[in-house]
Amino acid sequence: MESNKKYWKGLEEYNNTPDFVKNNKNEFAEPLPIEDVLNEAGLSTVTPRRDFLKALGFGLGAVTLAACQSTPLKKSIPYLVKPEEVTPGIPNYYTSSFNGQSILVKTREGRPIKIEPNPNAGQFNCGTDARAQASVLDLYDVSKLKAPVLKTKETTWSEIDGFVKSELAKAQASGKKIRIVASTVSSPSTNAVITGFITKYPAAKLVQYDAVSYTGIIQANQNSFGKAVLPKYNFDKADLIVSFGADFLGTWISGEEFTAQYTSNRNYKSLENKKMSRHIQFESGMSLTGTNADTRVPVKLSEQGPALIALYNAITGGALPGGTLDKNATADKVIKLVAKELLQTKGKGLVVCGSNDVSTQILVNAINAAIGSYGTTIDLDNACYLYAGNDAEFNGLVAEMSRGEVGAVLFLNSNPAYDSIDSKKFADALAKVPAKISFSDRSDETASLCDVIAINHNYLESWGDANAYEGYYSIVQPTINPVFNSRQAEESLLVWADAPVKDYYQFVRNNWETKMLPALGIKWDEVLDKGVVSVTAKPAGAYSFSLSLAAVATSIVNSSKALDKDVQLQVYENIAMRDGKNANNAFLQELPDPVSKVTWDNYVAIAPKYAEKLNIKEFDVVTVKGSNGYSIDLPVLVQPGQAQGTVSIALGYGRTKVGKAGNDVGKNAFPFASFVNGTMQYATTVTLTPTGGHYELAQTQTHHSFEGRNVIREATFKEYLKNPAAGTGKSEEGHKNYDLWDQYEKPGNNWVMAIDLNACTGCGSCVVACNVENNIPVVGRDEVRRRREMHWIRIDRYYSYETKDGDVTREKEIAKLEDLDHVSVVHQPMLCQHCDHAPCETVCPVLATVHSSDGLNHMAYNRCVGTRYCANNCPYKVRRFNWFNYWNDSRFDNYLNNEFTQLVLNPDVTTRSRGVMEKCSMCIQRIQAGKLKAKIEKRPLKDGDIKMACQEACSANAIVFGDSNDPNSEVSKALRSERIYYVLEEINVKPGIGYMTKIRNTDTTVQA
Amino acid sequence: MSGHNESILREPLITGDNITYAKITDDILGPVENKPNKAWWIGFTFASLGALLWVVAVSYTFWNGIGAWGLNKTVGWAWDITGFVWWVGIGHAGTLISAVLLLFRQNWRNSINRSAEAMTIFAVICAATYVVSHMGRPWLAYWVLPLPNQFGSLWVNFNSPLVWDMFAISTYFSVSLLFWYTGLLPDIATIRDRAVGTRRKIYSIFSFGWSGSVKTWQRFEAVSLILAGISTPLVLSVHTIVSMDFATSVIPGWHTTIFPPYFVAGAIFSGFAMVLTLLLVARKVLGLENYITMFHIESMNKIIILTGSIVGVAYLTEFFIAWYSGSEYEQYAFINRSTGPYWWAYWMMMTCNVISPQLLWFKKIRLSIRATWILSIVVNVGMWFERFVIIVTSLHRDYIPSSWAMFYPTWVDVSVFVGSIGLFFTLFLLFLRVLPSIAIAEVKLLLKSASEQAKMKQIKEGHENKEYVAEYIESLEKFDSVKQEDYAKI
Repeated sequence: MESNKKYWKGLEEYNNTPDFVKNNKNEFAEPLPIEDVLNEAGLSTVTPRRDFLKALGFGLGAVTLAACQSTPLKKSIPYLVKPEEVTPGIPNYYTSSFNGQSILVKTREGRPIKIEPNPNAGQFNCGTDARAQASVLDLYDVSKLKAPVLKTKETTWSEIDGFVKSELAKAQASGKKIRIVASTVSSPSTNAVITGFITKYPAAKLVQYDAVSYTGIIQANQNSFGKAVLPKYNFDKADLIVSFGADFLGTWISGEEFTAQYTSNRNYKSLENKKMSRHIQFESGMSLTGTNADTRVPVKLSEQGPALIALYNAITGGALPGGTLDKNATADKVIKLVAKELLQTKGKGLVVCGSNDVSTQILVNAINAAIGSYGTTIDLDNACYLYAGNDAEFNGLVAEMSRGEVGAVLFLNSNPAYDSIDSKKFADALAKVPAKISFSDRSDETASLCDVIAINHNYLESWGDANAYEGYYSIVQPTINPVFNSRQAEESLLVWADAPVKDYYQFVRNNWETKMLPALGIKWDEVLDKGVVSVTAKPAGAYSFSLSLAAVATSIVNSSKALDKDVQLQVYENIAMRDGKNANNAFLQELPDPVSKVTWDNYVAIAPKYAEKLNIKEFDVVTVKGSNGYSIDLPVLVQPGQAQGTVSIALGYGRTKVGKAGNDVGKNAFPFASFVNGTMQYATTVTLTPTGGHYELAQTQTHHSFEGRNVIREATFKEYLKNPAAGTGKSEEGHKNYDLWDQYEKPGNNWVMAIDLNACTGCGSCVVACNVENNIPVVGRDEVRRRREMHWIRIDRYYSYETKDGDVTREKEIAKLEDLDHVSVVHQPMLCQHCDHAPCETVCPVLATVHSSDGLNHMAYNRCVGTRYCANNCPYKVRRFNWFNYWNDSRFDNYLNNEFTQLVLNPDVTTRSRGVMEKCSMCIQRIQAGKLKAKIEKRPLKDGDIKMACQEACSANAIVFGDSNDPNSEVSKALRSERIYYVLEEINVKPGIGYMTKIRNTDTTVQA
Repeated sequence: MSGHNESILREPLITGDNITYAKITDDILGPVENKPNKAWWIGFTFASLGALLWVVAVSYTFWNGIGAWGLNKTVGWAWDITGFVWWVGIGHAGTLISAVLLLFRQNWRNSINRSAEAMTIFAVICAATYVVSHMGRPWLAYWVLPLPNQFGSLWVNFNSPLVWDMFAISTYFSVSLLFWYTGLLPDIATIRDRAVGTRRKIYSIFSFGWSGSVKTWQRFEAVSLILAGISTPLVLSVHTIVSMDFATSVIPGWHTTIFPPYFVAGAIFSGFAMVLTLLLVARKVLGLENYITMFHIESMNKIIILTGSIVGVAYLTEFFIAWYSGSEYEQYAFINRSTGPYWWAYWMMMTCNVISPQLLWFKKIRLSIRATWILSIVVNVGMWFERFVIIVTSLHRDYIPSSWAMFYPTWVDVSVFVGSIGLFFTLFLLFLRVLPSIAIAEVKLLLKSASEQAKMKQIKEGHENKEYVAEYIESLEKFDSVKQEDYAKI
């Protein structure tokens, strides 16, 4: 029912007055008093009591709530008096030297935080190894002593000086000997100090003692050519390199230098000139160098000598006895072919041998002379002074000490109580010395047996110099005031010798200014600025070999026979620990071994088939008992490529008094070495007995084959010559790609990278460089076992096998193979690929990882809530999650979470809290710094202005970084190489890092 | 509704011969109005101990960090997201029963919908705990919500399936809660009307002033239908979106377009299994055999066969597509699932989810309460393994072999999961004590038309086709709550 009734609201409506009609159009019939409220009177009305209390209550409540989140209080002390040249936020670089290698030390606000190679070093500017990169952490080691120690009590330097001087005087007066035991002293100034000391105390003598010695080569050169030195090897001049157990890319003499030389003949630039050297390696254990060889032949330790004799005979047509390899047909065949090739490449071949046996090295000299290496690939006239240790002298010293002939002994940078072959015998002998003085920075194995620990500076606190090669000098200068009450060893010696100049800085300067600089016409300041001084190299002479080899051959054959028993053991230096001097360095402990990917332990490496034969499984604990009676229990690692009948154990582990990180990590293998024929021998025979125990080694990679996936693409050199794109898959017809997403615009820069798989040797110095640069936490053995290492860059290492039916790369097929000895290895640095279509970016719920306009994949730690979805969705698995609060968790000791060690942190990079994802940032702080610098200098960025930490450390120049928007940049050129491929390009994530195919120079006459 | 008779061919939904409205109320409110029995106390003790374990494990995780779990650089999700998807899946039966079956006028749902919905809500709560606790920084969990903020007004990433997830789960939870609570109103009012003292006051508040007038009932029916309409798409959308966490990724084994339907079927499968697990026990312990009858059990078993078979076909399709795709990564992912280091998990899944539900084709098994109960648990074990297989076996060996790793759970992983089951049962047992486990009002609707006694009356009236009556009586043989001798005479 419809109602026609009309209700009216007031008389105005009923009467329909004109006023009503007019006002009814508006929303409010009467105008609102806005003006009244907003005018002065309105605003100045008195606030009623209730409103005031309301506002007060709300304000108080809001402030209380807002204050609930406590902001952490960080104390910082500004410079009251700003030191000259220190500007907060701006790094200073100082030249210095590490183990004879010239470096740049980056300091921030007076703290050294990073080591870089010195670009002024010319031919010796060849990256840095992992040890150099990690060495900055040693400065901030809490395990160091804070004051000198006299009879186990901390004391003052005057007490020390009084005691030592009287002891030295006593020793001198009693007619007893004074001995300074030092690892090779290559510093001219230190040598001058020691000379001065000997002048004061004529009973004193310097005994150079290297834990891992090169006496064999030095004495062989003395024998063959009358020059008791290590030669300078020129791997860059060698077209054919044959190595018998010399890990020259890793630990042998000067790995990073040889790496630079070696890769200069194998990297993309060399390949573009259609040139690639060939490298054949005969060895027992799988070394880093062996993994890079074009052809690698496993030989037993006992076969190494005979193989060299066979090679000599084949090259010279001689008939030395003992050159039979009847048990190793492959080696026999390869030796014959290698001999032919060496003769063809006369003058461009190089044979090196890792043995420390004088006879063996004499034979190697004979071979090198026969193929004309002297004067080209070997330079005896510009000798290497990095190692000058004399095994016999040290052995003699132990005898002298046990006979009570030594009145005082000083240990400089040496620790024989740990690294001599019989530490008990050494300790007993040492106990008979009345005055024992150590210059160690901590109470280590030797220092703890000494009366005095005259704590030495870290090298970053020291003055000094180095003379690595003839005519090549570098400076050591302090980059920080001494942190503890330490005194430089040289200064202590000067004080004790009552030298006229006791200040070591003055001494070094005087030494340079009087002896070296006048001839060169350079000023001291220039030396400090440049860091290196080199005089023109002498011409390398050709040397011929003319001695009889009969005795040598007999000696080699005898040694070989002595070793020819099961099981042959090789003790070797590995990349990270070397001789164990830096065992307390957590970065090094957590650096995966380049071959086995094991961290935080040494192990018994054994060939898969041989382990099967001995009925030993991986991670079984075995008792290794040496022929000298020394025995240790170690877990087994199954190592493809290890020669049958041999095992290898790394040196440098099993330290007991080095500090929190390094104590009781692994077992000491030095006592397996023996003193034979006047030199240290690192091969022996042992027996293996399973203990029934099981010990899981902490590996960062546990799957070792690449399953035929095209993440690794390789070709032989022959194929490459025919088609430079061989193996990249480019010749195959591609698919048309469709994109769901728009392309990002990159108007300014587009930061990309190219990685040359043929240059990368896998040494891992990039990993440590990245750790130091980016404050990457060390997580410890247990966490690595749980597969939680935090490394932003890793080196993937894959094994594959070449067979008649092609390459075998799948785990299941490998398991069926009979011959697992002849393994091919490839190293692939893997880091965030900064994909243009990054799968991590789309899945993050909170936009914590986003793309930048210069081609980078950013990670905003503060925004991350830690769902880990990005890491799951990363096809490269390069994202790392902070499972714990690594930098501040007392329960979780990663050896870095104390205030002192944290001074090593790079202030440009934030440390990440727990629950946050992180990954390679492409050293964004370096990019920003580079841009800033260019801006300040009002110039555009130049190619090469910005370098990644990994790139800078790389000796092989395997990593090229730059702007792909600049067509002339080095990276653009590298990315135009036909060898370029992108890992997983088929899933269209558009990675920003191009890889160049691995090329193997195998298709010639020699094949394993 | 009771104006006309239901076909005699339909099996009764309520059994018993002297059921009255009052008896229904008495029967169903028994557990709510009386002191709990021993069985309840035993169950509650175990469940609350489980919940306590959950509190301990989650607190331990919050205190120490996600490192307390067994995850690693390669496997970033394992038991956490497995548990999450498992619980969300379990919740699905509730929505299906309450919404979809309502729209399809499946009256048999009236006896089970209340418990199923309660189960949904508790399961989603358990799932939600994982959403928060799996985060590295759970105190910032609210950042996944698109809230106004002062970070330069930083928005969430609408591309991320986790954000879709957050919307899906929160929508699902709120709609389910609303639907459940709306349905509860008349029943709460019933409790209120029978209670005295404080209880009466409390139930009075929660009954929202239900008056029972015709107008109230009419609106109640309308709201129920509307909510059913809103919930129905959720049955499909929630697990579809959960599956997209995987399907939109690039990981072989996850990147699969079949996931949405496959996940939805799996969810219903596991949800019905959980309903059976709960109700078979509740029915016995609470004496509700007349309301949750063999017909209900058999119907749910039939749904389990159907969805189980769909899931089985999906598993086989995945394998076929992996082969057909020609993608080596995809192929390896599936070969690795079935023959790799986690083969046992895969075959556990296949056995529990594909093979064992097929046993329900046998009527004898379908009608055996014991067998059904065991199978319902087997199905949920299988569904847990399904999620574990999808998540862990896909992640642990994806593209780059160098990063392949194994996942080993820690005690914390296990405790969080076991504890979440404890939490679930604690909530469910509390629910049984304070709210009616069967929708009283809805069951009463069926009494005049679809109950055994109504049918008996029909038969006695003698207007029914004799053949049909015989068939009806035959169908009653399976009912354990029907006195078969009553029919021997007819």
